[in-house]
Amino acid sequence: MTAASLARRPRAPNKGRAEALAGYLFIAVPMALFLVLNVGSIVYALFISVWKWNLRSGPVEFTGLRNYGTALSDPIFQTAIRNTLYYAVVWVPLTMALGLFLAVIVNQKIHGQTFFRAAFYFPAIASSAAITTLWIFIMAPDGIFNQVRGMVGLNPLFSLLGFTANQNWIGDQGTAMNTIILLNAWTTSGTFMLFYLASLQSISREVYEAAAIDGAGAWQTFRRITFPLLKPGHYFVATVAVIGALQLFDQALIGGGVDGAPNNALMTMVLYLYNAAFKQFNFSYAAAIGIILFVVIFTATLVQRRLFGQAPAW
Amino acid sequence: MTSPARPIRADTPVAIAPVGDRSWAWRRRLAYTLLIAYAILMFVPFAWSIITSFKTLPDSVRLTILPDPFTLQGWDFAITKLTPPLPVLFFNSALIAGVVTVTNLVLGSLAGYAFARLRFPGREVLFLIVLATLMIPDQLRLVPVYLIFNGIGLTKGVGQYFGVILVVAISGTSIFLIRQYFLTIPRELEEAARIDGAGFFTTFLRVMLPLAGPALGAVAILTFQGTWNGFFWPLILLQDQGHYTLPIGLLFFRTAGGFATIYPPLMATVVMATLPIVVLYVFFQRYFVEGIAATGVKG
Amino acid sequence: MRRQLLAALAALTIVVTACGGSATSSPSQAAPSAAASAASASASAAAPASAAASASPAGFDANAISGPVVLSGWQSSPAEGNALTQALLSFQATYPNVKVDYQPVAGDYPTVMAPKFASHDVPDLFYVNADYAQEWIAGGFLAPLDDYIAKSAFDTSQFFPGYASIFKGADGKTYGFPKDGNTIAMAYNTALVTSAPKTLDALVTLAQSLKGKSGLKAPICLNPGLDRGLAFLYAQGGSLLTADGKASAIDTAPSKAAIQWYMDLFKSGLGMTASDMGAGWCGDALGKKSAAIIFEGGWLDPSMTSTYPDVKYAWAQLPTGSSGSPVTISFTVSYSIGADSKNKDQAWVLLQYLTGKDGMTKWTQGGVALPARKDVPTPAGKDVLAASSAFAKPGSGFMVGWPAVQKAFQDAFTAQIQGKTFNADPVITATKAAIDKALAGG
Repeated sequence: MTAASLARRPRAPNKGRAEALAGYLFIAVPMALFLVLNVGSIVYALFISVWKWNLRSGPVEFTGLRNYGTALSDPIFQTAIRNTLYYAVVWVPLTMALGLFLAVIVNQKIHGQTFFRAAFYFPAIASSAAITTLWIFIMAPDGIFNQVRGMVGLNPLFSLLGFTANQNWIGDQGTAMNTIILLNAWTTSGTFMLFYLASLQSISREVYEAAAIDGAGAWQTFRRITFPLLKPGHYFVATVAVIGALQLFDQALIGGGVDGAPNNALMTMVLYLYNAAFKQFNFSYAAAIGIILFVVIFTATLVQRRLFGQAPAW
Repeated sequence: MTSPARPIRADTPVAIAPVGDRSWAWRRRLAYTLLIAYAILMFVPFAWSIITSFKTLPDSVRLTILPDPFTLQGWDFAITKLTPPLPVLFFNSALIAGVVTVTNLVLGSLAGYAFARLRFPGREVLFLIVLATLMIPDQLRLVPVYLIFNGIGLTKGVGQYFGVILVVAISGTSIFLIRQYFLTIPRELEEAARIDGAGFFTTFLRVMLPLAGPALGAVAILTFQGTWNGFFWPLILLQDQGHYTLPIGLLFFRTAGGFATIYPPLMATVVMATLPIVVLYVFFQRYFVEGIAATGVKG
Repeated sequence: MRRQLLAALAALTIVVTACGGSATSSPSQAAPSAAASAASASASAAAPASAAASASPAGFDANAISGPVVLSGWQSSPAEGNALTQALLSFQATYPNVKVDYQPVAGDYPTVMAPKFASHDVPDLFYVNADYAQEWIAGGFLAPLDDYIAKSAFDTSQFFPGYASIFKGADGKTYGFPKDGNTIAMAYNTALVTSAPKTLDALVTLAQSLKGKSGLKAPICLNPGLDRGLAFLYAQGGSLLTADGKASAIDTAPSKAAIQWYMDLFKSGLGMTASDMGAGWCGDALGKKSAAIIFEGGWLDPSMTSTYPDVKYAWAQLPTGSSGSPVTISFTVSYSIGADSKNKDQAWVLLQYLTGKDGMTKWTQGGVALPARKDVPTPAGKDVLAASSAFAKPGSGFMVGWPAVQKAFQDAFTAQIQGKTFNADPVITATKAAIDKALAGG
């Protein structure tokens, strides 16, 4: 009996209704909360974005799509979009791969399995503020990273790539974003490891046994069996990763301040929104940014759903 | 193939390398060394925090490994000089994080199961809405949510706790994660339960939920830790100093308490703030080992 | 019954729309009607609160006011907390009937205040930083104080114009009084600099002699933005705006020369940003001995004594430039009353005390900040900084849209330094565009 054949089986009408009722009941509380606090917020943002809106007294002047036009033609916002997309395109695959790698290792019954499981997850535990501050300290021009690479003798390699011995990693407009990518890959790899672990646990032992009997090596088993069976896991991690990446904010704020210094190298879409709302107090403009961001993320998610296709148990 | 009665542990490895083969042993040792090095690297920043907390202030700005002199000044400062005092901050953080974790587990597992296994009209559209909630940055939600909460009195007094809990009571990520996990469990188990006459809720509670250990463990860890370290909503909604959570109390302390560059007590507070999560993680991660994987898939 | 209900509803509707109408007119748009409605609003607010006031309609008797007042703001150091406590205790002794409820904000003050403005639920008296004062005034978040000033005969003559002018709206009304101020002056390591340079030329000469000495990363720590650069722009006779504030003046010859001069400090290696020195700000750079000369305000003192007690430094006035006269920039924060504040009278009693001579003396005598009034004695050890208040120009908040202008300058300037092209022209072009845009209404 396959899943497909089960689906095709005709259901007794009241059984279908009972199931639907159960379904709605199970999701009732979350959906109610989401409706009020999330959908409501988007509706509010949509509404105020088409006005010149005073935070305290409300609508001042109907401006239609002017806020959107201003945003899309602002070079700083365009930089913000570019930075955010760059971050997503580089960071998502990097951290997914790292997370999967760590999960596979930690899933093995090796010595110190528990130790590794704790160690790899550790960077994800601290608050983003604490860890970003730490990272800035480490990557400062005279910080630990530069000092250690000098001591270990890696400097010639770095000079080849165009970096000085005293490279200001976060303060330099050319390297700031990549430094943040490395920081977040390091911290979030633990979280993705957790997700993949949950997913790996659901793969049956027998599948591996069968593969071993057929003479498959470790890499082959991973590539042909484990990796494809993780599809629901991949879909989850990829979706969550992209949604999170496109909303990069905390580290950008701590690393570069509210203006995305240096020279907008760390200006992300959410930072731009924050700047518009709480530095320039232009809330209708900020709302328009929020709507644009939402559309971008939603589109990316829909594309991913298409790309990942119909996962086996949809 | 096997009957559904035998539980399988999916964490036992496939033969990575035949033991006793010389070249494999060498590679294995190298792999272990790299892993251990990487693992130690993960601990380095925290080791540094711990070490700094035992240093004196002038010593703390130097990159030395051992405190010289070793002192408890930093810890004493942090524990005695905070207003509001640390126990209050810990209590607030624990209360809020605890409640939010429970609500996420309960609501998330119910909804995750429904989206994975129950058929109801509009299911996919509703699930897209769940996903959509993850696409709205908090900064955008701030004003509308505050307007609503202020209108129903959740911004004053004890209501502040309710406000902070309510705004993150259920996260789309929890629902999503649990749904994906339930999708991988074969339908046969539910069919068997329903044939035996179990209702939808009983099937969920007695059959499916016990199998969801790893997913629930992941949600518990992530939710507790996210809420414990949560910054934005507590800052906005917890106005009374007696209601401050740890991150807010520490922030206030860093500015108003002049801690920002006084590293020893600052590091002491960072260590104290991180410790509960470490404990929780160590406690919950066993679910990844004991989680019982589903049985074989029939052809 | 039903007819009475309808009549009541109709009356209610009329009243609500009338009140709503006057509330939504922001000061900058409808000056005459706003003045009228503000006068009637404060009169009607004063009437129920104090019977004594209605007995003498021309005056406002602070001693007769009673009630709570919610005070909010932020706290940047424990010393500030202590100083404010002292000031509030002294207030309580003078006006025992007004009870102060102090509710500081833990962080990110504008973000926390924004939803409060939106929900019309604001504290009674709160801080407003010059950085966003013009935005908050133009947005109608603050209550105009002119009525209170007139009725209390509050003496406003003693405020330094550099501080007080920031909190005036485009309609000419006053929306807050500076609670204190801070000026930018030169702080230098006395071990490396024996006598402070009096002119900018002397500064350059001194810096050249210091270059490469004693493990300095650069002689001077500088910010690549107008938060300090503006002082040098003024010192060299340049300006961002014309005297009447209606047009940009950043592309005049003196302005261009001034900005290029500032840029050249970076080019020649005499100046470096704090970030490139591995410090969070220039105060850290001075403490770590990465720089010998920095330009900061009074906030440097507590930081140096607590974190770098071994570094000996002294203050001197900002060196004069080609303009010939001493000039610097100042930063300030006001006490303001919200347009929606519930206890405006009580808030005014507190405001006029804290920004009056006695209150401000109590607040500043600990040295947390400089007085914003001439008649308040200078705190110990702050002579140079306090003396600079007399000729300091506002360093922020003197135009609507200042954050965008500041950002445009800093972005372009940073690009030039990091790209190693050190050309002031792109900076001037970008800043001029931002100024023009801001003046046109953003």
